[in-house]
Amino acid sequence: MLDATTRFFEELDRKGYEPRLAKTVGSLRVDLREGPQTTHWLMRIDRGRVEVSQEDQEADTVIGTSPTLFEDIAAGREHGIAALLRGDMTVMGDARLVVQVERIFPGDPDARGPRRRFQREVR
Amino acid sequence: MGAGNTIRILDGNTFVVSEDTGDIEATPSEPTGLFSIDTRFLSKWVLTVNGERLNSLSYDDLQYYEARFFLVPGMATHYTDAKLSIIRERTVGGSFREQLTILNHDENPVDLEIRMDAGSDFADLFQVKDEILNKKGEIYAEVEPDRLRLGYRRGNFTRETMISSSAPARFDREGFAYSIHLEPNEQWETRIDVHTAALGPGGRDLRIGLRVHGTERLALQHDLEKWIADAPKVNSQHGRVASTYKRSLIDLAALRFSPLSLGGATLPAAGLPWFMTMFGRDSILTCLQTLPFTPQLSKTTLRILAALQGTRFDDFRDEDPGRILHEMRYGETAAFEEQPHSPYYGSVDATPLFLVLLDEYEKWSGDVALVMELEQESRAALRWIDDYADLVGNGYIWYERRNTDTGLENQCWKDSWDSISYSDGRLPPFPRATCEVQGYAYDAKMRAARLARQFWNDPAFADQLEREAAELKQRFNRDWWVADGEYFALALDPDGRQCDVLSSNIGHLLWSGIVDHDRAEKIAHHLVGPRLFSGWGVRTLAEGEVRYNPIGYHNGTIWPFDNSFIAWGLRRYGFAEEAATIANGILDAATYFDGRLPEAFGGYQRELTKFPVEYPTACSPQAWSTGTPLLLLRTMLGLEPHEGHLSVEPRLPVGMGRIEVLDIPGRWGRVDAFARGRLDLHKLGD
Repeated sequence: MLDATTRFFEELDRKGYEPRLAKTVGSLRVDLREGPQTTHWLMRIDRGRVEVSQEDQEADTVIGTSPTLFEDIAAGREHGIAALLRGDMTVMGDARLVVQVERIFPGDPDARGPRRRFQREVR
Repeated sequence: MGAGNTIRILDGNTFVVSEDTGDIEATPSEPTGLFSIDTRFLSKWVLTVNGERLNSLSYDDLQYYEARFFLVPGMATHYTDAKLSIIRERTVGGSFREQLTILNHDENPVDLEIRMDAGSDFADLFQVKDEILNKKGEIYAEVEPDRLRLGYRRGNFTRETMISSSAPARFDREGFAYSIHLEPNEQWETRIDVHTAALGPGGRDLRIGLRVHGTERLALQHDLEKWIADAPKVNSQHGRVASTYKRSLIDLAALRFSPLSLGGATLPAAGLPWFMTMFGRDSILTCLQTLPFTPQLSKTTLRILAALQGTRFDDFRDEDPGRILHEMRYGETAAFEEQPHSPYYGSVDATPLFLVLLDEYEKWSGDVALVMELEQESRAALRWIDDYADLVGNGYIWYERRNTDTGLENQCWKDSWDSISYSDGRLPPFPRATCEVQGYAYDAKMRAARLARQFWNDPAFADQLEREAAELKQRFNRDWWVADGEYFALALDPDGRQCDVLSSNIGHLLWSGIVDHDRAEKIAHHLVGPRLFSGWGVRTLAEGEVRYNPIGYHNGTIWPFDNSFIAWGLRRYGFAEEAATIANGILDAATYFDGRLPEAFGGYQRELTKFPVEYPTACSPQAWSTGTPLLLLRTMLGLEPHEGHLSVEPRLPVGMGRIEVLDIPGRWGRVDAFARGRLDLHKLGD
């Protein structure tokens, strides 16, 4: 079974286009560190077109965190901005890119969302 | 916190609140300190000379970012004998810097022990008014040969205060000291630097690359001079309006704030001291007020709010796709999700107001590129209004928080817990819908229709929006009209029952244009009538209502910003005299606050108090109070962008004399507007 992190990036690569990044240009690398081992995910974004690879190449922005925390973010159980404020995730380079990319992570799978009265769901 | 005798200086979201000696000794009732990114970095900063506290002869807050304190040792009664004077000059701009000068006026040499006690509790802004009993992390102090490092650590969350001095000092865990010898008429000085740090594990600061201008005093001064030079000039016959305008312009400069995600561009933060951060509602309304004067704020505000628009369902943050944020915070409680502000989305007016601002901004600036850039965000905002905000399914915007612990109960501008009530004083159940938000939704659809037709090349969508707006207007005028009082209800409860109190919210309805023309005159009469109008301004809740209290936060006080939109609304429907009456009252009130309008003041009758009574814990300066004189000027001068040019149709009260506004920027380049007071405001009581 694939982990949420891999699923997130592979899905993004497969789609090749993410409308919420339509105004974004730049590259963002995610470094997932665990002991001596670091896994890389590199996103090249060009006005919504997204390419994902696992190359360890220079990027405009580099995010560093643990595989466990990133797994929770990719699954919607943890929140990227809060993790950033806590220092559990670090950013080097252009912080704007992080804020843009953070928005494409899924929401909490258990979120109720707005509901109409008498429990009719809106969503 | 009332103004009291605390001195505040600020730059963006870094600010210092101190006593009039420059000392800081924070307690829950005296929340003084050095604050940055929603964290207190100094809670103790006390200067002594030979073990003695100092007394203030005078102080100057020279500019918003600097202050100067003249001090002598000992008690007030002794100071005429003082042989020593101490000058503290401080600047805040990213970090905090204090220049300390000591002069010996004695004919004899003196030996002095100078000491600064320094400490920090690293309180989150949400905690400063509480006793902090169990901070979850560890507070530490590290003494190095040339500096004192105060810190707080909780997991990877680290905040540090680094204190260093240009003159050699002896540092210890509780401060630093100097032993100095001064000959007669000799002086001694040192520069103390206090650097704040928000560090991640790599030791990198969260805020790297964020400063728009340098932290040097000269850079701050240059930036302020440019800000003033770029804005229109206002001259007034009696000087009063011109000086209020100048004060507002400087305060707006002080309130500019650069969020993490915008690479240094600025937007207005909501207010000092509690709201030095980004608020959807406050930032948008301030931009609407200041568009004719400082249009650049609108562009950055629209961009940042679009960049942080909701994309998913998050019950803790009350986030939905398309929703515009309410509040962003950077402190410990947001980081550890003890508060939802990372960001929090619990506001129902920011989303329609976002569309209103985009359209208004284009009318002034002609910035079609931004309208194109934000098309998708605008469409998402419109979808939110229809799909996620209509919690009852009857075509209105409703609110009911999903975060029942720390979310906001009332998600309209009157956001205190008891602001929405029936006329018998009871509070309605949820979801609730307030009237002014339906007006904003109407206006948002009408304006978005213009954008769709003119710029997005989607006439079918424009037709649809106009149709929906027309239906909303019809429905609204049917469901919200309080027949026996002849005004619109403050709110509806989920069963459609009216919260039938008379409130200032009806003035916003005029601004939005949702009021049927044959009812506008009734509304105008109420707004300047004795129950709502105090002589200074329109009360949030009318005298005679069960919950009316002249110093009730949203139940009777007068909010300057509220009045500025009411005046704009009156003018929109042709009630120029009523608009001028309100503008005149609020601008009169401003003179009692040296041109700096507070967040709110008491709803007492003008004849009773003769001066406006400041609301005890009002924030000041506050962005939308600061923007108020600017919108009142626009309203009185009748400044309207019209088919690519600026039309001017002044309606000024007689006492205001001649007013000129020079170099108003817009798609027309720069134009001037002139006005002379000709309106006889017979309605005014005095």
